[in-house]
Amino acid sequence: MIALVPFSASLAFLLLAGVVARRPDAAQSRSLAITWTGIIWVATSVTTLAAPLITGPVASVEGIVRLLPPPGVTLAPSVFCLLGLVVVSLAPLASHPPKTLARILVLLAGALATVATDNHAIVVALFLSCALVAWLEMRSQPLRDVRAAKLFAYYHSASGFCVLVGTMMLSLGHDTVGIPLVVAGIAIREAVLPVHSWFPAFVESCPLGVVAAFVAPQLGVYAHLALLADGIPGDLAHQVAAVGAVTAVGAAGLGVVQTDARRALAFLIMSQTGLVAFGLENESLVARTGALLTWQVLALATTGYIMCLAALGARRGSLSLKGGGSFARTPRLAAATLILGLASVGFPLTLGFVAEDLLIQGSVQEFPVLGLTLILATAINGMTALRCFFSLFSGSLKHQGELDLRPRERNALTVLLLALLLAGTFPATVLPLIEPVAPHSLDHSQLSADHVERSARSLFTLRRLIAQR
Amino acid sequence: MMNNSLLHGLVAAIFFLPALALLLLAVPAWFGRRISESTINAIVGSAFAGATTCATLLLAVMYLGGQNVVEVRLGTWFSVEHYFFDWTLVADHLSVPFAWFVALLVGSIGAFSRRYLHQESGYLRYYLLLTLFGASTELVVLAGTLDMVFFGWELVGITSALLIAFFHERRKPVEHGFRAFVTYRVCDVGLLSAAVWMHHSVGSSALSGPTPLTPWGTFSVPEGTAAATFVGAMLLWASMGKGAQAPLGGWLPRAMEGPTPSSAIFYGAISIHLGPYLLLRAGSLLEHAPSVALAVVLVGGTTALHATFVGRVQTDIKSALAYASMTQVGLIFVEIGLGFRYLALAHIVGHACLRSLQILRSPSLLHDHHHLEQAMGRHLPKTGGHLERFVPRRLQPWLFRHALERGYFDAFLIQYVVHSFVSCFRWIDEQDRAWVDLLTSATPDRSAAPQEAREI
Repeated sequence: MIALVPFSASLAFLLLAGVVARRPDAAQSRSLAITWTGIIWVATSVTTLAAPLITGPVASVEGIVRLLPPPGVTLAPSVFCLLGLVVVSLAPLASHPPKTLARILVLLAGALATVATDNHAIVVALFLSCALVAWLEMRSQPLRDVRAAKLFAYYHSASGFCVLVGTMMLSLGHDTVGIPLVVAGIAIREAVLPVHSWFPAFVESCPLGVVAAFVAPQLGVYAHLALLADGIPGDLAHQVAAVGAVTAVGAAGLGVVQTDARRALAFLIMSQTGLVAFGLENESLVARTGALLTWQVLALATTGYIMCLAALGARRGSLSLKGGGSFARTPRLAAATLILGLASVGFPLTLGFVAEDLLIQGSVQEFPVLGLTLILATAINGMTALRCFFSLFSGSLKHQGELDLRPRERNALTVLLLALLLAGTFPATVLPLIEPVAPHSLDHSQLSADHVERSARSLFTLRRLIAQR
Repeated sequence: MMNNSLLHGLVAAIFFLPALALLLLAVPAWFGRRISESTINAIVGSAFAGATTCATLLLAVMYLGGQNVVEVRLGTWFSVEHYFFDWTLVADHLSVPFAWFVALLVGSIGAFSRRYLHQESGYLRYYLLLTLFGASTELVVLAGTLDMVFFGWELVGITSALLIAFFHERRKPVEHGFRAFVTYRVCDVGLLSAAVWMHHSVGSSALSGPTPLTPWGTFSVPEGTAAATFVGAMLLWASMGKGAQAPLGGWLPRAMEGPTPSSAIFYGAISIHLGPYLLLRAGSLLEHAPSVALAVVLVGGTTALHATFVGRVQTDIKSALAYASMTQVGLIFVEIGLGFRYLALAHIVGHACLRSLQILRSPSLLHDHHHLEQAMGRHLPKTGGHLERFVPRRLQPWLFRHALERGYFDAFLIQYVVHSFVSCFRWIDEQDRAWVDLLTSATPDRSAAPQEAREI
């Protein structure tokens, strides 16, 4: 089964990557990437919203073609395209030459193609390919950190091996061996404790645009949904949930004591990933919906946060949390960094609040202690976000003449902030696209009348709200 | 019917007017449009004048109509399966005086700040944060569910931290802002835990109607003493952070680094009283969990004693006022724990008015002293030494040292809690780095790590 919208967007990104890579001028290639990524995002979003109105052979061919991915992942194509727009718009030129930009587009194409299918072989192939593209990018950096690239290769070889062999075992019916192997592979990819060591090094050494494109789509979450569609046996599920909770709290603690913004960012992302991993293993629909929403919010807010740090790094040269910096020179960049940092940790007024509220409220029934522990993780993550903001934008009058957001950066961030704030204000319009996911299932074939009806409900709710306003 | 719609409109306007003002300031600011000081003042002034008028009208209509509660259901914000997040505003004997008082004070402080911050570079930022604070506090006060309280509570916390760090070019205000935020976040764990447990055990975190014991709406009581005690204890923990109660109150004197008007409204008037407000809302829980009520009395009593001793050795007026605030809030905790709810409410209003006025006048303290001395023609008599007469002479040096060291609470928290936490996680981080070095068979060398290029 193939979902047409993400598949077409994926092809468009691949084509764009080919064109961008051939442009000799970095500024031109970035402008081209921004324009076309914007067009692809608008087309994807319009199609997602209008999907309930589209009928006939274009909408679905039984068992072969669908317009959109199933509920729970329906929003993913739009989200990935928007995060692509933010990444290319805020990518600094010197650290993101055309070839790097092209690899970013390839990574996004890979993410879109992954959510376009539920075929295990294709999902695994794309899962491995994305890691390969990121590794090639690390290798091609002129000032590459050989150790980080080596570490990345070790961990992702192990992850790829586990996922590949595990999936083969699953297809042969050896679930007892296959499931733990797939879970282990995904755990390494998602950098849960204690198999996370590649991740801080990766975030520290790779261009932040590549980090965003590789990490923010969280393909491990989709692989979990697609490859383990029949669910994980009870005991293992509880263990995975426990590991997710430990990662959420442990990484939060590690994040708040860092002295470099990039490393703090790495642990912040890990902590949020732990929350998602924990939520996915819950029996409660509320918690699972929260986990899926956290996944989507994490993709958007974290990308914005990463790219704000990239823009700041390009202006300052260092992202140390020891020196301090001037707020007065870059007030809008500072404001965006603060809002996106807080949005990514579930602060009120943004969609992240709704996501984490659902996740925590839903998980208490099954995991009372772990559920309450997550509250501690979100509290510490909030401290990390504010500490980074204070350390990077205050405590000093010194500046290097850095400029505030350029129009292209501001426009992309405006769209992103609007999406997070509006969806956070009217979450009822988004939830129907996330909520109806069946326990541990991602059955594309069941995506028919039910999904169309729910999507229509979402569209009508949106229209009604607009009319009321 | 008409009367009801009017009341609903008034209740909603108390929250939505400040929220609208926030939007009117934030959108042009994001797009880089310059907004003149007079426009900012007009927007903020109109919003809070409107909110004050609505609150006054509401108070009058409710009093004349003999209505105890007005509940405004704005709808379900989102819901999944059995879980739902309702937006309900409740106007009753507790929330309406508070809402009126908040709107009036924020509006007055806004007007006062016009001159105080005239031509300050962060003028717009200050008013943005003040408006966000006003809207969030109204939300906390009028909230019909604990979920909504948490929503507003978090926003009050971040505005408080950002205003303490208002003079961002200096390191100390920023450190103190962060310290306040850390205390808030640690205590917010209690509030969210209570909300989650209420949903888990009662099915909702909504307020239930007034009872003879509790003259206003209070949070539902979970079945079983253990659950009620847990939720009550969590709410006490949450209120200790905002109310700067011992041993967590060390952030309060440091919070005075922010602009004086914001210090007055946050730490003299409103923010610091949100802790007692939460406990007043938890009245039925305290009835069902006497151990929590006792804990409230003990915390409040300890804080009052601690703060009154420490406040006496402070050498700057703002710190002295901060400890005076802490003392009074401690006493309010004691009143709430003992069940004197109306007394606590009157105490809150009286203390907030007096203390905010004192903090607003604090920058001109020396001028006021000189003025008084000139008027009296002699030095001012020594005041405030009553307590010393009752303290045995042998105990006085020990108490003096105890007060100078701020009860050793700060030292204890920093040494044994914060440092232990940081050391523990730094050690884990070091082990992680060592493992990476071992795997990559390299000596630690980070010089090769690329930096983001300086080209935009």
